[in-house]
Amino acid sequence: MTTTPPTTGAPLQTRRLKNVKALLWFLVGMAASFALFRFWRGMGATTNLTDLTPWGFWIGFDVMGGVALAAGGFVIAATVYVFHLERYRPILRPAVLTAFLGYLAVVVGLLFDLGLPWHIWHLIIFWNPRSPLFEVGWCVMLYLTVLLLEFLPVVLELAKHPVLSRIYHVLKKATVPLVILGIMLSTLHQSSLGSLLLIMPHRIDPLWYSPILPILFFLSAVGLGLMMVTTESLFSAWVYEQHYELDLLQGLAKVAAPVLWLYGAVRIGDLAWRGSLGHVLDSGLAPRLFVAEMLIAVIIPATLLSIPATRRSMKGLAIAAGMTVVGFVFNRINAGGLAMIETTGTRYVPAWTEFIASLGIVAGAALVFFFIAERFHLLPAGPMRHARERLPSVGEFRPMLNRGAAMFVFGTALAVMLLPSSALDGWPVVAQPVHGPGYNDVMIIDGNRNDKGVRFDHKMHLDVVDTQDKCAYCHHMVKPGAHATGCSQCHSDEHLPVSIFNHRLHQEALSKGPGCLTCHEDTSRPKDLEHSRPCLDCHRTMIPEGAAFQPAGAPNIGLAVGYMDAMHGLCLKCHQEQDGGHAGDAPVLSRCNTCHSGVVQPFDPLRPDQRLRVSP
Amino acid sequence: MKAILTDVTLCIGCERCVDACRMANDLGPQLPFRWLLEDGLSSERWCSVLRKEDHFVRRQCMHCIQPACASACPVGALQKTAEGPVIYDDKKCLGCRYCMMACPFGIPRYSWESPIPLVRKCQMCFQNRVSKGQQPGCTAACPVKATIFGEREDLLAEAHRRIQENPDRYQGKVFGETEVGGTCVLYLAPFDLNMLTLGNRLDERPMPERTVYAMTAVPPVFLTMGAVMTGIWWVIDRRMQRQREQDAARRDGHAEPTSPDDGKEG
Repeated sequence: MTTTPPTTGAPLQTRRLKNVKALLWFLVGMAASFALFRFWRGMGATTNLTDLTPWGFWIGFDVMGGVALAAGGFVIAATVYVFHLERYRPILRPAVLTAFLGYLAVVVGLLFDLGLPWHIWHLIIFWNPRSPLFEVGWCVMLYLTVLLLEFLPVVLELAKHPVLSRIYHVLKKATVPLVILGIMLSTLHQSSLGSLLLIMPHRIDPLWYSPILPILFFLSAVGLGLMMVTTESLFSAWVYEQHYELDLLQGLAKVAAPVLWLYGAVRIGDLAWRGSLGHVLDSGLAPRLFVAEMLIAVIIPATLLSIPATRRSMKGLAIAAGMTVVGFVFNRINAGGLAMIETTGTRYVPAWTEFIASLGIVAGAALVFFFIAERFHLLPAGPMRHARERLPSVGEFRPMLNRGAAMFVFGTALAVMLLPSSALDGWPVVAQPVHGPGYNDVMIIDGNRNDKGVRFDHKMHLDVVDTQDKCAYCHHMVKPGAHATGCSQCHSDEHLPVSIFNHRLHQEALSKGPGCLTCHEDTSRPKDLEHSRPCLDCHRTMIPEGAAFQPAGAPNIGLAVGYMDAMHGLCLKCHQEQDGGHAGDAPVLSRCNTCHSGVVQPFDPLRPDQRLRVSP
Repeated sequence: MKAILTDVTLCIGCERCVDACRMANDLGPQLPFRWLLEDGLSSERWCSVLRKEDHFVRRQCMHCIQPACASACPVGALQKTAEGPVIYDDKKCLGCRYCMMACPFGIPRYSWESPIPLVRKCQMCFQNRVSKGQQPGCTAACPVKATIFGEREDLLAEAHRRIQENPDRYQGKVFGETEVGGTCVLYLAPFDLNMLTLGNRLDERPMPERTVYAMTAVPPVFLTMGAVMTGIWWVIDRRMQRQREQDAARRDGHAEPTSPDDGKEG
């Protein structure tokens, strides 16, 4: 496991670390080649986003989740500098770096998600202070700068150049004001991600939508921040095979427990106050998500953390912290996406490319973290065996690149191989053909509007109905709303020989039993569709194998098209031809006799029958 | 403020307005709405005709008096003009699509197929017609005057006159008069027009009001947080300074002096 002892401050490389890094490089490679196609072919070709769901996984996870995960930075900075709890200093630097990288990842994720990412700087010059997104944007910009300044001393402390060391001293002096500014910006920013959702009451399920969303988001960010620092500490200790800072983490856990309980209480109290608490017991997706989220993010970890024995054990802490982190990212994804499924009826499921882009960004951030951890004084007992006294030279970067390059290239290639054809060739929607009215087509229609489908030979009908108005014969607007003529209007008695039903065969087969009464339950009534048993009553399970039409369930069958659909907006063209170019003289078109000879009343949708009574 | 009044009971569903809209705004190939989202709108089709019961309902941007989209847009690419139309400036747009999320009617569409995608929606023909004193393409094209253009007050008066004259014909209210604080596209219909909204039911509260309290709280919260944090820092710092001085005094100089920077070299 252990490698040769490092000589001049070279980073410690364990096999575990190498494997983790290889995986990260692989993910970055996949995301990189996806990025190429994302910007070349556009979002429609490479994601599953739709007009109904214009915000998908990237906003839910990258932005909402990413910002929440970066909350550790301001929480620990406040603990160490404002509350003067010096013993937490060892975990301060990694927490600030994680926050910085987290925000950087949010910005990169946003570049993927923005339709016109090269306009991102417009936030600086075009202002709309009423928009929560305007505030979010500005907070990200400012806080990213503050985090950079907060972290820069870690790099500059090794610098020998007089200008750099001057900057180092200035930044060192400005630490406390910077930290306080960072806390102020974080407070705004964490809560304004909640404000972002306030304008969508129509989209978000009432279990998440609340006027106090900003407060809920801020509270959860504090709890999550503490647990994120814990997770990250445990993870870097694991990956670098160092000892765990359990005494410190125990202290964080002790604070996190009441914060989580408080969050839970405010959330439930708010639901009760708004009268939506009963909705938790409803069936459906949203209540289930809510219960799962509360258990994972709040109730189980808060309970675990309230038990001193759990707080003292590495496993207990890891489980509680991991659950909180996963739970609150889940919460952000719910609020920003999953809680909208039932209200909007969307069928959006993220494409795998969307997941890969997000994973790749996170992997990239992790690689930068390792890079810095291995070259600067970042972790309390980190991989730096010997104190470094100067900035790393270019030569030191080379071995890392060599190792990663292979995995990166492999990931890139694999992603190109797996990308959907739309991403490679462009979005195919542009030249979508308009299908004709269905000549020669054999289709499955629900001609009688009783949710039962039949196999319908359009061409055959067209031949049979050989009149001047043959289209109108079936597709005619018998009722405005353009419902077509139902099958039963012609096929009123299936005794007649038609292709879809063999009356004689049924007659013979049933003659030994109840006979006609099987279908025609009341022989005194007309033997039409309305007074007979539908075929599927008996034939639901009797459909022979290999039949052209296999109804899975009756309601899955679409409606027959109406006149307008069948004509595909041909009416306009027709009308224009018929009224001799007077289409502009509006009301003339409203009279049927513009086209039909004879006296026809102006069409009044409220009295449709009036038109039918007059012969054309 | 200019507005459009659509009388659902007069519409014959000829889709002339849809065609006129396409011409007026120079929209691309007309995809038949059956292949798109159920409501027929798309980035190339800014108005569509839906069916409900025995009637046709024209769908287009509602041009809210207090539009959610304009209040949501971080760069002000969407603006409510004094004349009524809510218009879009593609020179400013970032492509964040917050407007699409915010719209309670689900109107704005995105040209997803393009690598340079834009938000597309009805502009009430503001730049190309209304600002030149013409009426929008759709209302000009309607052969039966089912959809008409005019001043919002006049159209409201006309709508109420029609309801009064023919109370059985209509639902008894003008859709858009009070919905989300009022819209510049008004409807008369024999039934409830909730089909035009997206998701949960709306009330009469303008959408931007739902965020305004959070946004006005921003400066005070920002400053309060700063003051509180500075205060806590100052109080604890002073206490620790005293503590250190006392310790130093107790040790009376025979231990190493404690530098004030001690411990800040993490």
